[in-house]
Amino acid sequence: MKRRTFLKRLITGAVLLGSAALLYGVTPLLAPRQATAKRNYLRPPGALEDDDAFTAACIGCGLCGEVCPPRCIKFHTRDGGAKVNLPYIDAAEKACILCDKCMEVCPTESLTVMPRDKIDMGLAEIDQTACYPWVDRGVCGACVSICPLGKQAIGYKMWNQYRPEVRDGCVGCGLCVEVCPHPSVPIWVVSRPNDIKV
Amino acid sequence: MVSPTADEGAAKPAKPFFLWRHLNKLRWLTLTIVFALLVLLPFLHVYQTYTAAHAYDLLSPGEKQLYDVMEAIAAPFVSDPAEDLDAIKGNTWSGSFWGFKISDPLAALGQVAASLSFYWPFLLTALIPVVATIIFGRFFCGWICPATFIYELNSNFASWLRWAGIRVGNRRFDKRIKYGVLALGLILSAVSGSVLAGVVYPPAIIGREIYYTVAQGGLGVGTIFFLGTLLFDILISRRGFCRYLCPGGALYSLLGRYRLVRIRRIVETCNDCAKCNVVCEFDLDPLRDGFGQECNNCTACIAICPTDALTFTIRPTDYPKQGPGHLGQLYRKEHQAAGDRNA
Repeated sequence: MKRRTFLKRLITGAVLLGSAALLYGVTPLLAPRQATAKRNYLRPPGALEDDDAFTAACIGCGLCGEVCPPRCIKFHTRDGGAKVNLPYIDAAEKACILCDKCMEVCPTESLTVMPRDKIDMGLAEIDQTACYPWVDRGVCGACVSICPLGKQAIGYKMWNQYRPEVRDGCVGCGLCVEVCPHPSVPIWVVSRPNDIKV
Repeated sequence: MVSPTADEGAAKPAKPFFLWRHLNKLRWLTLTIVFALLVLLPFLHVYQTYTAAHAYDLLSPGEKQLYDVMEAIAAPFVSDPAEDLDAIKGNTWSGSFWGFKISDPLAALGQVAASLSFYWPFLLTALIPVVATIIFGRFFCGWICPATFIYELNSNFASWLRWAGIRVGNRRFDKRIKYGVLALGLILSAVSGSVLAGVVYPPAIIGREIYYTVAQGGLGVGTIFFLGTLLFDILISRRGFCRYLCPGGALYSLLGRYRLVRIRRIVETCNDCAKCNVVCEFDLDPLRDGFGQECNNCTACIAICPTDALTFTIRPTDYPKQGPGHLGQLYRKEHQAAGDRNA
């Protein structure tokens, strides 16, 4: 093979690959945003509202994780790109108990100390097509009984005292997600509607 | 030039304080303590989570063993481990001692670059290290840095390899490369909006990675980077990462440029044996009064000097070049010749 043809093929290959990669890059930008972003990863309580500001402020020292009694704060250890070493909480695995220790220990105040009802990790959302009481498959109430904030955050429907409903006081700690006995976990934490950026 | 006899009559040469040649041992002790704490704290944290959950009966045999050992270690000091053990937390990147927070200056600078704003409550946590660095120079690198602990052992390992006949690298580069790394790290932090300087900074990496390994179930990506630097030190350049690449070392060097506490050579008792130059991990030149801003006051040269010709001094700049040591051959030859001519 001549050098010229080799170079030609090399360049063609690069161009093809590049254009394909470009498509992959552009497609997510064109896709419509979800009305509510389902959060798999919650930031620890008291985190700065703007996640970019949080990324810039957090130095990744791991102190919040080191004081967390339930050890729910995890870190992007091998993933996350520029957000590597930043803390998150995977509520389905282990949820925050709102003990405030991480906010107090954070040196950068990326986790700002704030009263419990001001914390905004998100808002729980119940999938009414799967939750046992909602589909009349039994009586549960696990989420209601575990909630550390009580009536203001989650309670039963007025007209059906078995069906749980999330209320405005929910701070998104995710204990209900952790405790939900349903195999598909039809409760999760989403961003508050007014937090979603378009 | 004054003749040797006149010199003796004028003043006795300075003698270093006798404890200073033992400072190197103290340094190894502090390095060991810091490293041991970095290992112990994550285990204590895991123990705390067990006590907080009141879950001893639910633990697996291995976890019970961990619980028992940590209980034995902590019991003399704390009554309520779940709360009291929170007193000492963190690592050298940022730590909390009884509620008092101390952070690495590079963390502060990295955050300023990433957020392009000054957040004083955090920046003030780096105040003590900054002031200490202005006085003692790059002492963090020699006395505290948990990576130094491993890098120096790695240097010793490399000399074993050399002794065994395996070729190890000892290439030299420009020491100013690390200032470029620091600048690049800060620029990238500003561009990406996250504190990227901490991702290529070994002490921060080690603190994190030990914690990840013990308490989070697995090493993070930083370990790969750190192993790479160890290989770089063995195969390419002795202690090369600290000398030429470390962004934190660059920052400390700049801060400690006019440090007050310096090592100086006592020319009257120096015999030009050059052991100080060989033992210097940072490739400095104590033999010819060349310390500069890179010196981390590690005192390895003081400890090895056979004639006690190195000591501390308090002055913001290095001693000017003093020429060959008075006990060395070079000086004797010069002065014998001069003395012959005088006589």
